[in-house]
Formats: sequence, C-alpha cells, structure tokens
Amino acid sequence: MIENFLLGSSALFGDPYTLAIFVFGVLGGMLFGAIPGVSMLTLAAILLPFTASLTPAQGVMLFAVIYCTGTYGGAITAILFNIPGAPENAPTAFDGYPMTRKGLAGKAVGAAVLCSAIGGVASALVMMAATEPLAKWAIRNIGPPEIFALVFFGLAVASSVGGRTIWKGWMSVALGLIIATIGQDPVGGIDRFNFGFSDLAAGIAFVPAILGFFAVSEIFVQAEKTARGRYEAPPVNMEFPSFFELWQQKIAVIRSVFVGFFCGILPGIGATLAAFMGYGEAVRWSKNKESFGKGNIEGVISSETANNAATGAAMIPLLALGLPGGALTAMMVAVFQMHDLEPGPLVFYNSPDLIWVVFAAMFYANLSILFIGILETKTILYLLKIPFQFLAPLILLLASIGSYIGRGLVLDVMVMFGAGIIGFLLRRSGYSIPGIVLGIILGKIGEQNFAQGMQMVHYDLFDYLSRPVCLILIIAGTLTLASGLHKAFKANPA
Amino acid sequence: MGNLKNSHLIEGTIWLTIVLVFFAFTYDFNQPIEIYKFGATGWPRVILGILLFVTLGNLFHQYRFGSAAQSGRVGISDDDDEADGTTSTGAVLKIIAVLGTPFLYALSLKPAGFYFATPFFIVFIILLFGERRPRWIISITLLIYALLLFLFMMVLNAPLPQGNVSPFYDYSAFILRMNSQFQQLDLW
Repeated sequence: MIENFLLGSSALFGDPYTLAIFVFGVLGGMLFGAIPGVSMLTLAAILLPFTASLTPAQGVMLFAVIYCTGTYGGAITAILFNIPGAPENAPTAFDGYPMTRKGLAGKAVGAAVLCSAIGGVASALVMMAATEPLAKWAIRNIGPPEIFALVFFGLAVASSVGGRTIWKGWMSVALGLIIATIGQDPVGGIDRFNFGFSDLAAGIAFVPAILGFFAVSEIFVQAEKTARGRYEAPPVNMEFPSFFELWQQKIAVIRSVFVGFFCGILPGIGATLAAFMGYGEAVRWSKNKESFGKGNIEGVISSETANNAATGAAMIPLLALGLPGGALTAMMVAVFQMHDLEPGPLVFYNSPDLIWVVFAAMFYANLSILFIGILETKTILYLLKIPFQFLAPLILLLASIGSYIGRGLVLDVMVMFGAGIIGFLLRRSGYSIPGIVLGIILGKIGEQNFAQGMQMVHYDLFDYLSRPVCLILIIAGTLTLASGLHKAFKANPA
Repeated sequence: MGNLKNSHLIEGTIWLTIVLVFFAFTYDFNQPIEIYKFGATGWPRVILGILLFVTLGNLFHQYRFGSAAQSGRVGISDDDDEADGTTSTGAVLKIIAVLGTPFLYALSLKPAGFYFATPFFIVFIILLFGERRPRWIISITLLIYALLLFLFMMVLNAPLPQGNVSPFYDYSAFILRMNSQFQQLDLW
C-alpha cells in the first residue's frame, strides 16, 4: 500500500499540470462549498464538460478533491451565519452558530478545520487500506432493507435532538417526512400532493428547504430582534481552540470517524446522514446533553469529523463496485464514461495508476484543509464585522440564487421564503428545525428503500428482521423511540 | 382545560388541519401499483397517522404542563425565550414587512426578472434593517448588485430569471447583451 501511495504521490506532484488541477480543485471546492446554495455540485457540474480534455486520472482526481474540500467549505457559513453551505453541514450550524453568537467563532471554525482534516485523512487512510474487502462486505450485507433500517434509526435519533418537548421533536420530523412525499412516488411515479401545480411534480428540492429553514429564518429572527431593538452584533474573537480543548474531544472524533465511515459506504446515504448521526451520537454519549444546541464545541467537532469521514468511504462503492453514492460520485461515473472506462472492480486491475493518484490526492486534499483552513479562517472571521443590515440582503440573495439555479424554478425561491417564514414561526414555538430538515432529506430515501426492501422480503416482517444489520438497527431505533415515549409520559417541566 | 391556552388550541388545530387536508388529498392518487402492495398512498398515510398521534400527544402534554419545556431536552434553541415580551405595533409592522418583502421579491422574479427586481429588493431590506444614510444605501446596493452580477452572470453564466413583461424583459436583455459583448472582448 505504501509503495502504491508513494507512486500516486509522485504522479500527483511530478506533473505540474496535474498539480495545478489539484490546487484548483482544493481552492474551488472550499470556495464553492462556502457559498450557500452554490455548492461543490455546482462547480462539479460546470467542470464536467471540461474533464473530457483531461486524462482520466486528472478528471476523477479533480472531482474527488472537490468532494473533500467542498464538504469542509460549507461549515464556514454554517458557523458564521447559520447558513449550511450544503446539507451535510447542517448539523454543524446547531452548535457552531450559537458559538459565533457567544463570540467563539474562531474556536468553532478552528475546530471545524482541524476535525474536517482529521476525519478526511482518517477516512482516506482506511479507504486506501480497505476498499476492496469493505466493498465485498457491503455488497453482501447491505441492501435496501438495511438502508431503510438505518434511515429509521437516524430519524429516531434526530427526533431526540431539538424541540422543546419530545412531541415537538417528533412532529418536526413527521412534518419533514410529509413534505418529502410531495412529488412523484418513488415506485410507480404517481404524482402526489401537487395541489394543481405541475412544478411540484418533481417534489420539494431540499436545497431551497434547507436554505429557507436555516438561512432565511435566521434573517427573520435577526430582523425581529432589530425591530424590537434587541439586535447585538456577535463579538468577533480570533482565538482558536487550544490543544487541551481538542484533546478532550478525542473520543468524539474517533466515534465520528467510525459513524461517518459507516454511513459513507452506504449508497445514497453519504455525508448528510453521517453528519446528523455523528451529532446525534455525540449528544447520546455526552454527560452534558443540555449544552448541545447552545454552543458546545463537541457538536461542531462530531458533525464535521463525520461528514468528512464519509467522503473517503463514499469512494469505496464507487471505485470497487461502480455504485455512486450521491450526486457528486455520480458525476465521477460520468467522468469515467467520458474516457471509455467503467468504475468497478476491474479498474483496480486495469488502471491502478488512476486509483492511486486519486487516493493520494484525497489524502493531500484533506491535509490541505488544515493548512489553508487555518490561513483563511482569520480573514473569513472579519465577515462578522460587516453590519447586519448590509449582510442580510446579500445572504437573502445568495440563498435565492442558490435555490433558483438548481432547477431553474422560481417556485423553489418561493418555497425557500415560505420555509423561512414557517421556520421562523416554528422556532418561536419550540419545534426542531434540524428534525424537519432531516425528515425532508431522508424521507424519499427511506420510502424508496422501504418499498424495495419489502419487495425483496416479499412483505414478510420475520424475513426482514432475520437480516442481522436490520434487526440491530430496528431494535436500536425502537428503543430510542420507546425511551422518548416513556420520558414524554413521565415528563416534568424543566 | 388543564394548562391549555388558546394559543395551544390554535396550534393543535393547525396541525390537525394539515393532517386532514393531506389525508383528503391522498384520495387524489389512491391508485394501486402493480409491483408494490402498499401503493402510492401507503407511506404518506402512515406518516399522517404518526403526525396525528404526536399532535394529540403534544396537546396532552400541553394540557398537563402548558408550554414548559420538557426536562432533559437537548439542543433547544433560545429563540423561543427571546420571543417573549412585549412588542410595539411599529415593530410588528416592521416584522411583517420583513417577512413579506422576500415573498414579494420571489413573486416579482417571473414578470420583472432578477436583473431588474434585485436592486429594489436590496434597498428595501437595507431600509427595513434600519439603515437610513442614503450614501451607504446606494453604495452598498450597487456593490452587492455588481458582486452578484460578476459571480453569477460573468463567472458562472448562471441562467437567472429574465422576466417576461416589457420593459423588464428588455432591461434583462440589455444586461445580458452587455455581458456577452464584454466576454467577447479579447482582454488577454
């Protein structure tokens, strides 16, 4: 492995053109990841046609690097403005933004930089060592029934986070799930809940919903404070987390690497659920649960470690089995096909040079997050010094454009502002915005995999539960819900 | 009535209405799918059932404890605490204006287009957030507008709404023509 890694590194650094593409990917991914709505996917989509003129190794490597650094880039706006650059950065905002409001933005961004790098590097190392055996295990043991079970578990955990009462946590998740049913059903393609609008046939896109619930509702909250004369600009503090503070979080980091890696391997799940589950597990194991959502650095660390740990893992089904796990890895398949290659087990034998250039590039891209991240953080923190009356229109317009350009529908901009108003009202009433968002994101995945899983087991519940991974996850999810229900009926006001 | 207040009843009624309306609409697509036993309505109806159950649970909780937060809850934002207190009529109107302006902007995108509507939107938002210095309002508006045009029109070539009503459409066409002429210049 080390020999191959060194060969990949020399191919990467030995050719100035390949190196220039690598640097472009690192900076482009970070920049586009940090612009709300305009995610790394936008950059990848723009670049896709141009990869035809690159070698296959350069093309796939460019996309892999954008994936790594773009996943980190979205954390910056999540922390500073409560605007996740991408869905996988949403849980970072839960504690990152409260830290900013407390004047601890430097610590939050510093923790995100370091933990994104750790998660990504760890994931890249495991990816290099274990792509083939892990892929073989996953193909034998993971299918639609297991993915549904994981979604069920993820939602059960999500409902326990946020919300003034467990009932409100569950109502938030259920609202997200029902929003996700708008559009065509995933099995028969039948239109559901389109209320006479043909544009709704494609469903509610989750980027406008996320931007609305997080970014727009935040602007409205600040507007309300301004109107009532209570707005206070967050203090800017450049202080990074100390080594001791980070060392205290070592367990959270290790746990999130595992959670992220496991979620990343599963096709269609990827970094978003990884981040939510990393956060949820941090809450579950913490002795200081009440501090989450109010600026606990462990929340930022868990979410950012997990989502970056998922990036390397997501390459495993792609490279070893030819199965893309998400939109960006699907674009990588297109890059392969443009060069008459098919991702899958044969790539390891036919193009080992390509594989190891990509592995090496992902390793160095994650390392570069650390160095470039530290350098850029102090500059970025100055954004907080811009008066909010000038920042608000810029944020609203970036969010509007980000919502619009995904599908070219003005309806998406309206959905975003509608979600902003609903989010503003629900936040005041103690509902959980993260719960709604996760319901929207996982609703479609859950339904599709439930339908496929039921067909696979011929609607036999015992057959379903005879699959060990399903059994474990369903029991864990049911226990989480039962414990919540028990607490709800015993509930005492705080 | 226990600790139930009117606000709780209104909240519960809204949720129950959502459940009922969505349930009624499931009959619009209540068709069997040959390869899938539960059809297109199975999943949404189960979720609506769950939503009904938790809405009733929430009402029961409010009946017993009112609006108080449950002990041991994690990750509760402090927005609701900050929402307490009195608000003047002027502040309420301002909040309504802030909530309504982005929606009006979104509605205007189809007829008036992004290029025409955006500067007005920026000015309105800056004013609503309390800025009154004309020089600042104009310069920040121009700066944000130029920044967005540079990034999305010139660099990304993103297809933004152009409007479909004259003279707004003509204005968008003018901006786009300027952009294409600029891009054709051989600056290198």
